[in-house]
Amino acid sequence: MTSMEMAHFPILTAILMSTVLGLIVIMFIPDGRDKLVKQVSLVFSGIGLILCLWLYHAYDVEKGGLQFVERTLWVKSLGIYWFMGVDGINLPMLLLTAVVLFTGVLTMWELENRVKEFFAFTFLLVAGVYGVFMSMDLFWIFVWYDVSLFPMYPLIAIWGGTRKEYGGMKLTLYLLAGSVLILPGIIYLWAEGGAHTFDLFELARGGFSPQVQNIAFLMLYLGFGVLAGVWPFHTWSPVGHVAAPTAVSMIHAGVLMKLGAYGILRLGMTLCPEGLVYWADLMALLATVGIVYGAFVGLAQTDLKYVIGYSSVSHMGIVGLGLSTMTVNGINGAVFQMFAHGVMTALFFSAVGYIYDKTHTKMIPDLGGLSKTMPVASAFFIIAAFAGIGVPCMASFWAELLVFISAVQTYPVRGIFAVLGLVVSALFMLRVVMSTFYGEKNERWAHIPDVPMSLATPRIILVGVIVFFGLFPRMILDVIQSAVIPFVSSL
Amino acid sequence: MMKWVLFIPELYYVLMAVVFFALSLQRKSEPRRLYTWAVILSGVGVLVAVLSARLEGMVFFDAYRVDLYSQVFKLLLALGTFWVVLTCSELEGIDSRQHAEFYLFTFICTLGMMMLVSAVELLTIYISVELSSYCLYLLVAMRRKTDEFAETGIKYFMVGSTASGFMVFGISYLFGMTHTTYVAELMKVLPGMMTEPAAIVGLVLALSGFFFKQALFPFHIWAPDVYQGAANQVTTYIATASKMAAAAIVIRFVGFSGGESAVFIKLLVVLSILSMTFGNLVAIIQKDIKRLLAYSSIAHAGYMMIGILSMTQRGYASAIYYALAYLIMNFACFMVILKIADDGHNLKIKELAGLHKRSPLLAMTLMLGLFGLAGIPPTVGFTGKFLVFAAALEQGYLTLVIIGMINATISLYYYLIVIKAAYLLEPVNPYPPVRVDKWTKSLAIFLVIAMVYVGIFPDQFVALTEAAARSLFI
Repeated sequence: MTSMEMAHFPILTAILMSTVLGLIVIMFIPDGRDKLVKQVSLVFSGIGLILCLWLYHAYDVEKGGLQFVERTLWVKSLGIYWFMGVDGINLPMLLLTAVVLFTGVLTMWELENRVKEFFAFTFLLVAGVYGVFMSMDLFWIFVWYDVSLFPMYPLIAIWGGTRKEYGGMKLTLYLLAGSVLILPGIIYLWAEGGAHTFDLFELARGGFSPQVQNIAFLMLYLGFGVLAGVWPFHTWSPVGHVAAPTAVSMIHAGVLMKLGAYGILRLGMTLCPEGLVYWADLMALLATVGIVYGAFVGLAQTDLKYVIGYSSVSHMGIVGLGLSTMTVNGINGAVFQMFAHGVMTALFFSAVGYIYDKTHTKMIPDLGGLSKTMPVASAFFIIAAFAGIGVPCMASFWAELLVFISAVQTYPVRGIFAVLGLVVSALFMLRVVMSTFYGEKNERWAHIPDVPMSLATPRIILVGVIVFFGLFPRMILDVIQSAVIPFVSSL
Repeated sequence: MMKWVLFIPELYYVLMAVVFFALSLQRKSEPRRLYTWAVILSGVGVLVAVLSARLEGMVFFDAYRVDLYSQVFKLLLALGTFWVVLTCSELEGIDSRQHAEFYLFTFICTLGMMMLVSAVELLTIYISVELSSYCLYLLVAMRRKTDEFAETGIKYFMVGSTASGFMVFGISYLFGMTHTTYVAELMKVLPGMMTEPAAIVGLVLALSGFFFKQALFPFHIWAPDVYQGAANQVTTYIATASKMAAAAIVIRFVGFSGGESAVFIKLLVVLSILSMTFGNLVAIIQKDIKRLLAYSSIAHAGYMMIGILSMTQRGYASAIYYALAYLIMNFACFMVILKIADDGHNLKIKELAGLHKRSPLLAMTLMLGLFGLAGIPPTVGFTGKFLVFAAALEQGYLTLVIIGMINATISLYYYLIVIKAAYLLEPVNPYPPVRVDKWTKSLAIFLVIAMVYVGIFPDQFVALTEAAARSLFI
């Protein structure tokens, strides 16, 4: 009965509002009260996390389908709806967003420069991310998508590190260049749909001619692909990651890049199944190239953040490969990988963030033997590296396993190349771990204290999530599957 | 005569002009008092425009139509004028002896433009255009340090009168073809004649006069120089209020063809693409912020054209919405410029350095305004672009829309440069803090809220613009 009662409570809007209200409250805090800003941010991101956890718990896996639906007519003459709901695909994404935001806020606890603006922009960004994941209306998906992109510019250009202005500008222009295809793609589908509605499911029911689907799918795939780091549109990603401050890297690589893959899945594949079939080959090819390319380029990097940046390209390739198989296992794995990779990169960047804050370098040759001076900080990075390689008991193990099984079945040659790419990426991860944390101790860093408890908390949460879903993969796979099975059977 | 009720907004502006004519005869000038009077009178002007929004009818032997379309634009004009007058508390760009004349010509110009949006007879349209144009020629030339900017006034006048010449020539063609100067007749007869080259030539020539006001490529050459050379307040007026009137009349004239001529539509498509691309590419290299906004206005004329050339009711409605959006966001940008350059000089982009510390509110207004111009949600500028593109895609202009989006991305680059200056750069030598009075503060807050509200809750505004577009065809 409780679920009936709660169904009337607009929980999704509440989650979205937790960030919007947080943003407004932060804006009205007088200057100089930095501590208060951080506390307020923590409270509001905490509210979001609790609501998301509750949502995850309350979602009825047996029933499946779209739940907690809110639907109101927004703009009559265009058929735009305030339409939100969760199913097995976006539910893990919402949880991921909440976890990464919460830990991101904690990670930035020591920020001193322009604190208020930092958290305001971060909340705006996350409001956009939540919005994209919840909305089931094309207009709103695009609105939130852009809302989540443009705060990246100030966040990187003001608080960033290496070549921050270049990195910020490149990233912003690249990502918005993706919108160049997405927006016309969306409106094109609206115009061709005839029913004049932006409601995702109504459009999908209406169906489109194969030719329209081919054009629209390509537009959506390339448009969202830029954000998903699809090779060869990935070049903004390592540069942007390196330039961004820690929490922004976390949110960006952890959550924002998932928006791209999610967009391909939710818009492209749902609305244009025939377009997907037509272009699946290209998708698989680009994804495989991305996996292999990311791994090899990662091998040559000397900057810790570049290493993670290229490993992200490689890992997002796995997501793309999983989607392109059009099988239950493949898409299951892809969605799981989105979640697992999100948590993992967040951990990666927050681990590097601490090291960089203290040593002011992230060049691998300058470091070395860090595990002796700061064992805890090193442990976080090493765990993330293991997760990245796909060691069992880590969440990404299951995800990568599922994707590779179905990839080898669907595209034997590419699947094998992708697996080889994974081996190379294991190689470069281990190489980085070895030369950064083991080997000769660099005396310059001997005096540096290890991570204090307050800063370790967010990292421990992330490790906890990785291991939890590594040990109990069904906790998330059942949820994902409840949406993927009907989806694949409808293809 | 009840019919005179229909003419009340215009009569009110005549009255205002008379008041300021009387004030201009005074030997001693008191800028503060003039300002107060102008604010009050133009504020009441907005009220008058709101109250007369629902009037409908014909006056002056059917040469003048009052309907929702004209009244919406009159409201936009009154609003634009009021906002510009509000920012005139430091009218440093113009000699204090001429302040009364400044207000006088501003109000007469608004009057001319109000008549323009209601006029449905070609000669009435021509007279209204000239009434507003001559006031603008004077206003532009009024700037202090005339020697430096003398070229501007002359250039504007020369180009403007040439454009008027073209327009009259085009109108004569239209009359020759259709034997009428009444718009209602024209709209019936002309679509059937759109295969005749003479009809297209006539229409295009007549339109070129309005394209000039709108600063659509290739009729834009005056814009950068005039934006830079005119006093900041006058530039604001040209960039906001006068653009509304231009949009209104272009929509009406393009509608004449009834979408019957493929050649005509192709021509508009080409002009739209050239205007967007040229404006955005040249804007990238600008250092002076008024020049930058001039080029951006050329680009925006192109975006608006995308909606107009769809030739559907939805297209015209989207163009009206776009005009509203453009008024709000462009004014937001100009207001910030006016307040920072309160001694009336031309602002360089780098002078915005550290604005986020000097005045966080103005910095935010500027950022939202610029993001709006770039078409980033959740601002009104995005929703405007969305509507325009939706109207165009409904007619199948996919390539045009993609070119429009590419342009939006290009434009983002130079808007980001300005935002970077305001938020990232630290001033080399400390600039004086920006004085923000109560009026400015509330206006800035209002604009910020309006930009987001109209963008996120567009339903009633879209419904209004669609009703207005419908009344074009009755």
